[in-house]
Amino acid sequence: MSRFFHGGLSDSDTSSSDEELYSEEEEEEEASADESGSEDESDEADADDDDAGLKFLSRGGGGDDSSDEEEGKRIVKSAKDKRLEEIESCIKLIENGEKINDWVVISVEFDKLNKLILKSPEIPKVYIKAVADLEDFMNETLKDKATAKKMNATNARALNTIKQRVKRNNRSYEPQIEAYRKDKEGFMVEEREEAVPTPRAPRAEDSGLSLEDDDEGFSLVGRGGRTMVYTPESIFKHLRVIIEARGRKNTDKAEQIKVMEKLYEVAHTPYQRIKVLLALISTRFDLTTGALSYMATDQWKSAETEFNTLLEVLEANPDYVVVETAEEWDDDEKPPQPAPSEILKIPGSIVSFVDRLDDELTRSLQHIDPHTTEYIDRLSDEGALYTTILRNQLYLERLQRNQNIPTDESLNRVIMRRLEHLYFKPEQVIVTVEENAWKLIPAQLDSVISPRTTATTDATNLLHTLATYLYKHDATVVRTRAMLCHIYHYALHNQFYKARDMLLMSHLQENIHVADVSTQILYNRTLVQVGLCAFRAGLIYEAQTSLQEICGTGRLKELLAQGVQIQRYSQVTPEQERLERQRQLPFHQHINLELLECAYLTCSMLLEIPALAASGSSPDMKKRVISKTFRRMLEYHERQIFTGPPENTRDHVMQSAKALAAGEWKRSSELIHAIKIWDLLPEPQKIKEMLSEKIQEEGLRTYLFTYAPFYDTLSLERLVEMFDLSERKVSALVSKMIAHEEIAAALDQVNNAIIFRKGVELSRLQTLALTLSDKASGLMEQNERVLEQKTQGQGGFEGGQQRGGGGGRGGRGGQRGDHSGGRGGRGGHKGPRTQKNVQFNQQSGFHGGAMKT
Amino acid sequence: MAENNAEGASQTAASYDLIPKLLPHLDRHMIFPLLGFMGEQGKLTDQELTQARYDLLKNSNMTDFICDLYKEIHGTDEIPEELNKKQEVLDKLHNLGERSEPVLDLLSDQEVLSNLRADKLQNFQYLQDKHAVTVEMVNVLYDYGQHQYSCGNYVEASDMLYRFRVLSTDNEKTTQATWGKLACDILSANWEGSMEEITKVKDLIEQKLYNNPLGQLQARTWLVHWTLFPFFNYTNYADSKEFKDPKDPKEPKEPKDVLLELFFSPAFINTIQTSCPWILRYLAAAVITNRNRKNNSGQYQKQLKDLVRIVKQELYEYHDPITDFVTALYIDFDFEEAQRKLSEAEEVLKSDFFLASSAASFVDSARHLISESYCKIHQRIDIKDLAQRLNLTQDEGEKWIVNLIRDTRVDAKIDYKDGTVIMNHPPQSVYQQVIEKTKGGLFRTQVLTAAVSK
Repeated sequence: MSRFFHGGLSDSDTSSSDEELYSEEEEEEEASADESGSEDESDEADADDDDAGLKFLSRGGGGDDSSDEEEGKRIVKSAKDKRLEEIESCIKLIENGEKINDWVVISVEFDKLNKLILKSPEIPKVYIKAVADLEDFMNETLKDKATAKKMNATNARALNTIKQRVKRNNRSYEPQIEAYRKDKEGFMVEEREEAVPTPRAPRAEDSGLSLEDDDEGFSLVGRGGRTMVYTPESIFKHLRVIIEARGRKNTDKAEQIKVMEKLYEVAHTPYQRIKVLLALISTRFDLTTGALSYMATDQWKSAETEFNTLLEVLEANPDYVVVETAEEWDDDEKPPQPAPSEILKIPGSIVSFVDRLDDELTRSLQHIDPHTTEYIDRLSDEGALYTTILRNQLYLERLQRNQNIPTDESLNRVIMRRLEHLYFKPEQVIVTVEENAWKLIPAQLDSVISPRTTATTDATNLLHTLATYLYKHDATVVRTRAMLCHIYHYALHNQFYKARDMLLMSHLQENIHVADVSTQILYNRTLVQVGLCAFRAGLIYEAQTSLQEICGTGRLKELLAQGVQIQRYSQVTPEQERLERQRQLPFHQHINLELLECAYLTCSMLLEIPALAASGSSPDMKKRVISKTFRRMLEYHERQIFTGPPENTRDHVMQSAKALAAGEWKRSSELIHAIKIWDLLPEPQKIKEMLSEKIQEEGLRTYLFTYAPFYDTLSLERLVEMFDLSERKVSALVSKMIAHEEIAAALDQVNNAIIFRKGVELSRLQTLALTLSDKASGLMEQNERVLEQKTQGQGGFEGGQQRGGGGGRGGRGGQRGDHSGGRGGRGGHKGPRTQKNVQFNQQSGFHGGAMKT
Repeated sequence: MAENNAEGASQTAASYDLIPKLLPHLDRHMIFPLLGFMGEQGKLTDQELTQARYDLLKNSNMTDFICDLYKEIHGTDEIPEELNKKQEVLDKLHNLGERSEPVLDLLSDQEVLSNLRADKLQNFQYLQDKHAVTVEMVNVLYDYGQHQYSCGNYVEASDMLYRFRVLSTDNEKTTQATWGKLACDILSANWEGSMEEITKVKDLIEQKLYNNPLGQLQARTWLVHWTLFPFFNYTNYADSKEFKDPKDPKEPKEPKDVLLELFFSPAFINTIQTSCPWILRYLAAAVITNRNRKNNSGQYQKQLKDLVRIVKQELYEYHDPITDFVTALYIDFDFEEAQRKLSEAEEVLKSDFFLASSAASFVDSARHLISESYCKIHQRIDIKDLAQRLNLTQDEGEKWIVNLIRDTRVDAKIDYKDGTVIMNHPPQSVYQQVIEKTKGGLFRTQVLTAAVSK
């Protein structure tokens, strides 16, 4: 996108990698230091005595004896014996528990015992004995109502749990338990002699899912023989198994996907295919978990293809529809047969698939480095996705139209997705995207909302149609977003007034701060885009005011979600940072930050420099700051002892500002022209010309402000010569300044000169007196206003009504999508305001966030 | 200049013709005079005019007139069946008239009148109890009025609707009746009555449509358009009937002021900006021509300031020679441009239905404005040059200047030998400024204190 931006990014990249490099080196050093330290230590230890070596190895053993003991144990006992021992100790504890009727202990120990058994390769007879005994004892206890009643609550609860668990558990060992019960003594003796290979199959079946054993996995694959069994009839059975396994731990999703792919191959009725596809796509989405990873590209692509197939199937079989509200069909054996002319509803949500596909693409774009070919490759998938979205829209529309199935909300979501894929693109790109998408869609499909013929020709119209549809059919945040997208599009295409009017009509600035973060980001983007649009149109004042709010904060990156800002004293928790990373926009949607800053600073310069010159030395005027950021930078620049030739954009603007302040408009204009980033704007030559003209005008004003005290008269011709402006322009500018009483002068028509009035310079005392009187009247007004507000509750009917009317009128403007209505309270937001106007604004609660002065 | 390119000027005038924009916001009957005006201006041929009139009134009940028009258009004496409803209309009129008789009689009864109070419900109760008046009977009045209006009997219709309003308790219909009465008053050139009705309609809009912003906007737009009739005709009416001399200072309580206030009220200025920016032409013309009276120059300045602000805001959406004149004079301070626009504006005004009569006074006031701000900015002016700027000869120019000096009481002297005027702009003294600023302080604070202590 931008060479400069590019450069900027890579700069930071290298610096950060430098850091990493450094830190790695450091770590290595430390590690080696550690090593050498430990070596030293061990050397010392060796030197001490031989035992120390052992001690060192055994790490933390108390004395020589104990370490010996441990070692001895380890050598003597096999793992199996050890386990057996533990099992026995558990059993012992259970028996003890039985004696005192403490079911809590029993329950705990029983769990422990089962865990141990799972680990052991065989079932020890003791275990069988223990569980059998336990069951007997439990049954006895349960029979004996008296003891049951005596038990306290926890104990009773433990008894209940154990009852269920024992029953379930013992079912798997039934044969052994039977054997044991038949011949208690004999069973136990037998065990000693031969290690019975315990029948594992039942156990495996029982706990197959919770097992982690390698051989268990193996058995699953072993069952892979069942692939042969995939028949159209058994599809639903397999599907059910898979769906039930969904969301559990340790399900092998890749395996499931393979199974389902095979199932799809054998599926032949539409119902089967739809069911399989629905399950398959959701499983693919399940493959990726966690907020920081993204879906693998191949998985995404196959999901996308499958989704398209699903849509195709649905399009070809209008008898089947997929809706969220449908009932689940429980009978696996016989699939539902739709009666002719009846519609079969299958539960599922097509829209959520589209949403998910879109989100996953965005997520992967967030993670891929934008300067690689991979990013571009990935970005090319957007076209396919757009086609899918469009196709989904068509499908939903058809559902609504032909089958009378309300898909309002889904349709809104899909259209919003579509809008979000379009709004930041220039017109030609939108047309191309649309053309490509429609090409891939079968010719017989067409949309009512956005017909094929118009969609491929007029981008603005398309956007208008989509946005208007959302205004009409949605009242939630989707509408707000649609509105912002719409405005963004207008701003991007140089329709400043339209964009601004819509922005003000929408009254978004009043409640945007309660919206969700992504909408706020969209709002910021829109605001900035409107500012840039004003800049391109040469409306410096408007551009400055609307850029001010975002660019003046110094949190540009954060506000536009174009990179995480590194704050010096940040209090950001990792959680917040993670969230912020999730919100980042993919690179191709970025607004060039450097261009933004450049435009902002240039606008500020054109407004600030004459204002600074006009304020001269009077103290109260100095306080009227237009752009704090600009002033700070200017001050910083002025404090520098040596100023080299300008290097970056900021330097250029600062030096240009200085030249402008000194009246050297030519130099100022040259410096501004030397900024290379203007080339990113369309028609940079025009922008430069516009800027030169503005610089000439502001230069003239600045010159007059600055040097008026040194002139008695000044011929207009001289000014014409100096500033290379037409005489008419000069006299108009000067007249304006005189009329607004910015300079104390008058024109002499005969000599064609400005005559400066003398004796108007005020002494310090006079200035202070004026300031004081201003402040006093300001204070008085403030008091009156406060009183008015306080008493408004009783007598302010007139005002209250006014307010409601105005607000209401404006609030609805955007919703109608055309411009004939509802621009209530707009007057106050535009242009320089008079005092009265500001008052009206305050009364009526319109806070001109966008065009705040 | 205007003579040189009269052709071009009339073209500009045509391109700034507002009538098509105004039409959708006016009542059928009000369009009629506009059509007549267009005919006079030669914008429509007689044939077209008749056709337009016919189309316009086809659905109204002015049967005789329609038939005449039809004959004229088709050149026959045959009248198609659907138009020949004269008898029907007359019957209906008669019928309604009879049915409304009892109520009307009641209303003319002195005794009944003396028993009527301000409370409508109570009144109705009283009439119902004593004189067996039903809701239907009252509603007949409304229908009768409407019918009368449709037939073109505006005065009677107005009367009828007035009576209906007195009796009816149906809010919806009362609103309708108020609009109807306003239309009747406008069409019967009863400006005083229409002024009253405008206020009433305005109040209705503010109250009734409070929860329907779109309706409110629409209603305001209508009202703004309808108001144009009394706005620009009231004074002229007064002139023609009572005072022959337009310069006569003894004008009645200026309705223009009332209407300007209405237009400048925040709700209405927003309406104008939102839905009908072309009204700015009338607003600008009204403000500028309003200059003639000297008694309230402060208010005039304020209105001018507001006007300039709004014109500037709407520059991208609407501009015509009149607003361009304002822009050139007060925003760009380009006097040559202003002068050019003025002559264009004159043409446009002459071909505008509402403004045709005030074109001369507009040009006069505009000249004053130009020279005023010219003098304010300049210290020494060549009379010859100024005269040229104002489209006057040198002698006229000199006279003009003298008048100007006298009227506006600027501090200026004519240097006869050089042929120049020398303006003296005394800088405002700092002491004066401080005094001005703090003058009201004590009083305002006292008011405030009193209010707080209450």
